[in-house]
Amino acid sequence: MPSVVFYFEVHQPMRLSRFSVFNIGHTEDPYATYFNHELNQKIFEKVARKCYLPTNKLLLDLIRKTDGKFRISYSLTGTFIEYCQMFLPELLDSFKDLVKTGAVDLLDETYYHSLSSLFDDLDEFEAQVKQHRQTIKKIFNYSPKSFRNTETIYDNRIAGKVADMGYEGILTEGSERILGWRSPNFVYKSQYSNIKVLMRNYKLSDDVGFRFGAKNWSGYPLTADKYARWMSNSFGDVINLFMDYETFGEHQWEDTGIFEFLKHLPNEVLKYDNLEFATVSEAVEKYQAVGDIDVPWAISWADEDRNVSTWLGNNMQIACFNELKDIGRMIKKQRPKDKELLNVWRLLQTSDHLYYLSTKGFEDGTVHAYFSPYEVPYDGFINYMNILQDLKEKVNGK
Amino acid sequence: MKVAMLGWEYPPFKVGGLGTHCYGLTHGLAEKNVHIDFYMPKLRQKVKSDNKNIKIIEVGEPGDAIFPYDRPDDKALGGKFFDLVYRYNNLLAARVKGNYDVVHVHDWLTMKAGVQIKEKLHIPLVLTVHSTEYDRAGMLYPNQWFIDLEREGMQKADRIIAVSNYTKKIVVEKYGIPAEKITVIHNAVYPTEEEGEKKPLVLFLGRLTIQKGPEFFLKAAKKVLEYEDAKFVIAGVGDMMPKLINQAVDMGISNKVVFTGKLSDEEVQHIYKISSIYVMPSVSEPFGITALEAISAGTPTIVSRSAGVSEVLKNCFKVDFWDTDEMANKIIALLRYDSLHSTMRQSSKREVQLFTWDRVADQTLRVYRGLA
Repeated sequence: MPSVVFYFEVHQPMRLSRFSVFNIGHTEDPYATYFNHELNQKIFEKVARKCYLPTNKLLLDLIRKTDGKFRISYSLTGTFIEYCQMFLPELLDSFKDLVKTGAVDLLDETYYHSLSSLFDDLDEFEAQVKQHRQTIKKIFNYSPKSFRNTETIYDNRIAGKVADMGYEGILTEGSERILGWRSPNFVYKSQYSNIKVLMRNYKLSDDVGFRFGAKNWSGYPLTADKYARWMSNSFGDVINLFMDYETFGEHQWEDTGIFEFLKHLPNEVLKYDNLEFATVSEAVEKYQAVGDIDVPWAISWADEDRNVSTWLGNNMQIACFNELKDIGRMIKKQRPKDKELLNVWRLLQTSDHLYYLSTKGFEDGTVHAYFSPYEVPYDGFINYMNILQDLKEKVNGK
Repeated sequence: MKVAMLGWEYPPFKVGGLGTHCYGLTHGLAEKNVHIDFYMPKLRQKVKSDNKNIKIIEVGEPGDAIFPYDRPDDKALGGKFFDLVYRYNNLLAARVKGNYDVVHVHDWLTMKAGVQIKEKLHIPLVLTVHSTEYDRAGMLYPNQWFIDLEREGMQKADRIIAVSNYTKKIVVEKYGIPAEKITVIHNAVYPTEEEGEKKPLVLFLGRLTIQKGPEFFLKAAKKVLEYEDAKFVIAGVGDMMPKLINQAVDMGISNKVVFTGKLSDEEVQHIYKISSIYVMPSVSEPFGITALEAISAGTPTIVSRSAGVSEVLKNCFKVDFWDTDEMANKIIALLRYDSLHSTMRQSSKREVQLFTWDRVADQTLRVYRGLA
């Protein structure tokens, strides 16, 4: 009997201020100047109003009405949690209420939603995961057993590190390049480490995440009973539906009917005897791995390419990433006790900053443009690179 | 389909984007088996057609060469210039006859003849607006005589093609033409073979007039030079040249600014290829085909938001022409960060290949078919 595994990524980056070359070397307080706090608050409050608050309320209601048969999983990034604390503590409370139902699983990740898993060594990655773990423990009194790396970036090395840190399961993309003829609807295991892997069913996930409101899609309009029927006809142990939480009300606006869909989904699913809901950790515990996966080169759920080219696909992105790594080495060597510089450096690691610099065209490019605060990626580069240069001068004590 | 196109300039005789446009458009159409008789003023040197579907018909006496872009300030000269324009239009109106499906004119210079031929031959008139008096005057003190002439042509045309939404808006708002009568067809470019080594040159290329915004280029140069070393090349001629030279001296940057004067086609191609950055700070630019030419030669480009090309080109920087701080910020970044330069160069070159004359011809043919 397939378990439907709903997992939501909840994240907001700290977007940057406009920072021209003339600002380099003239910053007093990096945290105050680098990040556009006014814009960030505005966006956060807007998304909270359109998505986070109504969706939390609806899901809590659904869990209660189904006596906890409806089960879901989340990961909340550190920056998201900081936003809640700064601007909207009641939002954090509503997540606490959800966790208290016992029908909600929380996953760990890097606190900063960073690309530190792609650094040359994994010390920084480990530090950020620990910071996230401590934060979740402190706020929710919860110890996650499963892990989701930034945008499900995954390779053998990352799986090994995450297994070493004691996690039992990890999420990634159900990439055909990795699975070949095999179905994402089973639990797998890393070939080299003792950790189970849940692979995203990208077809069914994207039916909701991307295609829900698309009138030219053959599945349109997607109703809860239709979707439940598709799932009931699926074969396997798990149906892994992984998506951005912002799907509800933000990527798919309310007028697409996304909330109505969600509202009816649990009951429609539970009408089928062969379907049930499970959290990520429950699925990891319940099902045996049916095979190994071997991922030498990093994959992810991003773009059509499903690799890391979204963040490291052009020279601008690679230059910034290298600069970022260099600055980190400098901070750790020259200013190991400067907590503030370290925090600013880590906030600049949030993957979104590199995502905005992507120059991929057409379909993917439109998605990038929608999420980007910049008119063109080149503007994003100048801004980000200028800030990195300023930070570098700070580290060098200039 | 047979078209009478009333032109003004055609390669190798050309002073601006209009000649390049007419060449690309006529060849694009000829490839689609449209027959074009291209009428133009008779020059000292003969202009030959290189396509069997394009016939070049020269009108008038040798030595009538007229440079419409250098509108003379001198009243006496100005009078002669307008006389020549009138004479050319009268000659055209008498000369053009035959079985045409459509008569197509470009800008005000041949509008009068276009209207007369439409009435004489009972065929629809298509007018392409490449620039208006408001653009040429940099939105300051436009000349009413031109405006009236342009308005009459726009009113009498059966269909207007604007080279950008920016231009369409001017035609609607300043000339009171209904928007439904206007089709926007963006310009194209012939790809250049890229060679030549990039030097730390920042290029301005265009007529030195208020419209093209060269003084903003100089102001940005001054700011850049406080941070990065580069040469700033001002290529072109125009009535602002003496003023600009003085401005560069006053700013203390005259050793970093090069005025090239008028360049030949080959020299223009060469300067595109060796420049690191092209800046088009126009105050008002209906399209701005030079941006596409520079990119095609592998040169990352910064364009004014008041340029039609900024509507359609994604892989470039867009700035307000008056925001010289931001212009300088972008120039410095392009000079300083190779990764930015190389990414922009590759992506913009790829994008510019979509701007084909074949597409322009397709869209123009659709306009003709809608009328014929």
